[in-house]
Amino acid sequence: MNADLETLQKSNKTELERRGSIFNIGAPATEAVTIRDQIAVGFGDGTVRFFQSGSDPKTVKAHKGVVLSMTNYEDHVLTGGEDGRFLKISSDGNIDEIFNFGSKWVDCVASHKDTKVCSSGKTVYIWTKNKDKPQTLEHQSTVAGLAFDNKGKRLAVSRYGGVTVWKLNNNKWTASNFTWKGSHGTVTFSPDTKYIVTAMQENQIHGWRINDKADLAMRGYPSKIKSFTWVGDTPYLVTSGSSDAVCWPFDGKEGPMGRKPIVVANGGKELATFVKALNGEKAVFTGFTDGSVLLAEIDESKKPIMIRSSTGAEVSTIAISSDNSQILIGDMKGSILLSSLWADN
Amino acid sequence: MENTSQVPVTVLTGFLGAGKTTLLNRILTEQHGRKYAVIVNEFGEQGIDNDLVVDADEEVFEMNNGCICCTVRGDLIRILSGLMKRADKLDAIIVETTGLADPAPVAQTFFVDQDVADRTKLDAIVTVADAVHLSSQLVDHHEAEEQIAFADVILLNKVELVGDNDIVKVNDRIRKINPFAKIIKTTRCDAPLDEIVGLNAFSLDRVLDIEPDFLESEHDHEHDDDVTSLSFVSDTPLDMDKFQDWFGNLLRTKGQDILRSKGILNFKGEDERYVFQGVHMLMDASPMGPWPKGKDRSSRVVFIGRDLDNMNLKEGFENCKSA
Repeated sequence: MNADLETLQKSNKTELERRGSIFNIGAPATEAVTIRDQIAVGFGDGTVRFFQSGSDPKTVKAHKGVVLSMTNYEDHVLTGGEDGRFLKISSDGNIDEIFNFGSKWVDCVASHKDTKVCSSGKTVYIWTKNKDKPQTLEHQSTVAGLAFDNKGKRLAVSRYGGVTVWKLNNNKWTASNFTWKGSHGTVTFSPDTKYIVTAMQENQIHGWRINDKADLAMRGYPSKIKSFTWVGDTPYLVTSGSSDAVCWPFDGKEGPMGRKPIVVANGGKELATFVKALNGEKAVFTGFTDGSVLLAEIDESKKPIMIRSSTGAEVSTIAISSDNSQILIGDMKGSILLSSLWADN
Repeated sequence: MENTSQVPVTVLTGFLGAGKTTLLNRILTEQHGRKYAVIVNEFGEQGIDNDLVVDADEEVFEMNNGCICCTVRGDLIRILSGLMKRADKLDAIIVETTGLADPAPVAQTFFVDQDVADRTKLDAIVTVADAVHLSSQLVDHHEAEEQIAFADVILLNKVELVGDNDIVKVNDRIRKINPFAKIIKTTRCDAPLDEIVGLNAFSLDRVLDIEPDFLESEHDHEHDDDVTSLSFVSDTPLDMDKFQDWFGNLLRTKGQDILRSKGILNFKGEDERYVFQGVHMLMDASPMGPWPKGKDRSSRVVFIGRDLDNMNLKEGFENCKSA
């Protein structure tokens, strides 16, 4: 290779790439979650790898086929796979099979304290502490997203035609339906639990104010929204799906109703594919279709910082360690960047 | 957009008992040296146990995209997105549909969902037809007609159970519905797999294969809701604006009844051939290189659908001729 070009490419590396480690796993990174000082990543080859600064990742052969869903659970991760298995995995490689659904995929997982939840097909399965048998919640179509509110009293289940919010009272779950035509995917509660929001099959997100079921339609995206994250105290719901990170304000009584979003972290021709809040700050990491990642404050007058340069493969996950010291970025080709966020680390 | 990294998807339709499961078992067990994932529906004829088999329910979702007949297979979007995250590359994906399924939502999924379209491509719709029972199924069930109408390849199966005269009859009946599908006569679906998988039938350049002799469709159907085909040829170049107005309006207003459409177009003042192919209201169109030298520059269009007689297709097409 031409020496000048090599030098140029080296100098084009970002500060975080220079001080971080790059791992090429060879399978798409599908999910990443933080457990204490480690970041667990699920891959398309069925492995779950635990990354920690200063050492090689520990590899756990968890699933046959793709790791479809993952969440943290106490000191473990819960994973759902293409092989129909719902697993609890510890960072030292212990695998506990919670349930095996055979040829049905385990599409979504969720947890709250000692409650473990997964979905397969139209059914949500809930394991509570000291009970071997799960409670089941049935839905009219395949479950596409699961989210607990911050108290673990309500569970939002997205599906075709809207969201079912299940409320736990005296150990019984009762359903309340939030309806909007179309197919609903990933779902989230706002941090104050006043709103639920879903990413739709169409290029839009949809929200409801829970107390009166008022609809919030957030449209205008050029592609499907694959990722969203709550940022700051306002808070903003920041979404992918556009050439910028699109930030919808959820303050006041009306939230984003009748208001325009703030757009930050412009990716030019590239579309944002993954967004992740920087905990405790009014700032967001935005990953793009070409693999690059920008850090931006939710302030249109401020310039974003380049965190990772282009790799040619779309960013599929970003996780930040719980002490805000490390960032992990993964893409669809299986390249992982693990780096310290701060220069003096 | 053509993209070599797109995984081809074959859609397998056919009435219960026609032989879909026989074909699937062949695809999964024969030593073909390729890696195929098979998406089966849970109401399938019998269980097939294999790591590369994925269970699906046929979940047909309406899209809010202003297209009134636009339905997609929601479960397929989910499963194809999942399969695309695999570390090992698949050579092809085969989607089985239930016997009574309308093939349109499956086909439309590949036109409507951007993620699906980016990473996979609809290769062909293959319909397994029962040579013994097809004629009566066509009378009793709209779905059987639709499965024939949508097909790129039809395996006319169980021919060993039918006399030669009856094979000719059922072959003619199929041709009236669908003039461009390839018909392969089989016993226990014994056609070579490379005539079923990896055909690129939905690729726009395959539209150029429409043979002029297919375009002589007879026209003596008995019921107004029968699926039939109509085709037109013009040696006079067409006016692009007129054609776009007519065809756009036609798909918008009659797209529910037009199951499939295909065509090669010669526009006045254009050096390139234009080709299109559509499924109901959705279509894909593109210039496809210059006309071959020494060959006639004739425009050819084919429609398969219901109630085609009442769409003034001939008049509409004639009106597109340039002055």
